[in-house]
Amino acid sequence: MENTTKAKITLFHCINAFTEKKSLSTDRVDVKIIKMPCSGMVTEVFLLKAFEAGADAVSIFVCPEGACRYTEGNIRAGKRMAKTRSVLDEIGVGGKRLTMHQVKPAEGANAEQIIAGILEELKALGPNPAA
Amino acid sequence: MTTTQAISNLHEKFLKGEFAVTGECGPPRGADLSVMKTKGDMLRGWVDAVNVTDNQTAIVRMSSIAASKHLLDMGLEPVMQMVCRDRNRIAIQSDILGAYSMGIRNILCLSGDHQSFGSQPDALNVFDIDSMNLIRTVRDMRDSGKDMSGFDLKESPKMFIGAAANPFADPFEYRVLRLGKKIDAGVDFIQTQCIYNMPRFKEWMRLAGEEGLTEKVYIMGGVTPIKTVGMAKYMKNKVAGMDVPDEIINRVAGVAKEKQADEGMKICLETIEELKTIKGVSGVHIMAIEWEEKVKDIVQGAGLRK
Amino acid sequence: MIVGHQKPIEEIKKMVKPYNKLLILGCGTCVKTCFAGGEDETAALASALRMAFKMDGVAMEINEQTVERQCENEFIQEAAKKIGENDAVLSLACGAGVQAMAKRFPKAPIYPGLNTTFMGIQESHGVFTEECLGCGNCGLGIFGAICPITRCSKKLLNGPCGGSQNGICEVDPSIECGWQQIIDRLKALGQLDNLRTYIPPKNWKTSHSGGPRKLVREDHII
Repeated sequence: MENTTKAKITLFHCINAFTEKKSLSTDRVDVKIIKMPCSGMVTEVFLLKAFEAGADAVSIFVCPEGACRYTEGNIRAGKRMAKTRSVLDEIGVGGKRLTMHQVKPAEGANAEQIIAGILEELKALGPNPAA
Repeated sequence: MTTTQAISNLHEKFLKGEFAVTGECGPPRGADLSVMKTKGDMLRGWVDAVNVTDNQTAIVRMSSIAASKHLLDMGLEPVMQMVCRDRNRIAIQSDILGAYSMGIRNILCLSGDHQSFGSQPDALNVFDIDSMNLIRTVRDMRDSGKDMSGFDLKESPKMFIGAAANPFADPFEYRVLRLGKKIDAGVDFIQTQCIYNMPRFKEWMRLAGEEGLTEKVYIMGGVTPIKTVGMAKYMKNKVAGMDVPDEIINRVAGVAKEKQADEGMKICLETIEELKTIKGVSGVHIMAIEWEEKVKDIVQGAGLRK
Repeated sequence: MIVGHQKPIEEIKKMVKPYNKLLILGCGTCVKTCFAGGEDETAALASALRMAFKMDGVAMEINEQTVERQCENEFIQEAAKKIGENDAVLSLACGAGVQAMAKRFPKAPIYPGLNTTFMGIQESHGVFTEECLGCGNCGLGIFGAICPITRCSKKLLNGPCGGSQNGICEVDPSIECGWQQIIDRLKALGQLDNLRTYIPPKNWKTSHSGGPRKLVREDHII
């Protein structure tokens, strides 16, 4: 995926894990942010609908292991990501487009690195074939 | 025991109070009889009767009834095994009538290995009745002359009825109770799972004796000579319901590879020697799977035949 | 409850491909509880199918609805309007629900989106186990309320086979020996003597063996 089109990333994040202090969108990427009280509220439908709406990649920012305010929300998010990945593989969109990352509130800069990493991945994956 | 007149040669042996010997013959995976002839020749004269397996481990083989009849024609007495996995009660009764009409006199009533172990795991299993029901069915056909519907049979099949017992399966405390149930259902003789754990077998016999069961049934201890340490480990780890203690495995592993079969034979003979001394044990069932040529050596070695 | 799980999407695609407008119809009772055919699963499957067909270049309109129960006419009725607007229905109900829909809507092509697996319970969150075969003649009373017909791989009625070891069934290490459970429970209840009784051959007439079954309750028919 070269710079000819702007990549679209949908980011689901737990409000305890991450706060968008400055926009993650750049001239290379549109990052659509969906805040959640806990990453455990991410469901298969939300993730699939994000792709259906045209996202080239979807990412979930969760709290580090053991740091979930609701004990297991981040673990649930991981399980749902795995299930959704298998559906994405099954229909040919590709499960690799869906990722999960552990972040800490203080690591705003880290979020930019993660987005950069996803963009790097998208170079190989290309645009969402179902968009 | 409801009958005092011998139904079969095996039965006669028990009635005479002699230590009985049975062997085993798996029918071929095909219609060729030559393998059965070879196995039959190896066993003839060394055993009182030969178990004929019924699609053992759920692998399609020549039917147990047909193979039993072939053995009969070769001058050997078959113990026709019958499992509940593949036939409903209608087929079971019909097959018993057919088998009896051809001269088969011993039957071993089994539940049967689950089809998931076999070459056709997609098959539907039957298990219309269980082995306990099967024992009682054969007994009722023999003693009351009626089939399961209560119909008076013209010439009822008079079978000498056997069943299996596994003293090594769990739950252990239930195993004796189950033996009692089989005896109540009408079983005449029992063949046990291969014995490697002699203390556990003795404990089972002791408990059975306490319940007065050993006097109501002829019990044959099962033995299988170990060929290699690999085989022993396989039986220990992969075969459900088998109990091969580490000391047996270590004993076989402790000798050079080419001596392992000899060590296995030694263990087998020692087991039989011990079985002969246990009160209530009436014989030995030798399962020398694909090693039928050894049966003669075992029988001779154990001093059961000359 | 009736437990089911979704068919592979590839299999579903093959069934529904000929149609231009498809209604995915969820069922809000049993299959919802086992995460196979409720509102959420209906929405997720609809989304996945839309993407899948789009990538194949197939133009298909996919609509969704979930009714409370597809096995009861009064709830099925709620789907009538949408069924009329679509070319076919992919039902995410159990096999009974799928067939109830077919009976109610003789002209609508109805396809199953699930494989109905068994009658069971949710043993723990996300773990479902088979507990009843619906044999029509319940004998749980003597077995300490654990069914040997269902829980023993060989449907044995008179005790465990020789393949029970350490509480595990010989068929698969993931299967607990039903008979071990029966014995443990009867022992705890002080009813182990129940097992000394010979259980005669099962009368299968009341099971599916006697043909498809029907229950008529005259007291409820007007």
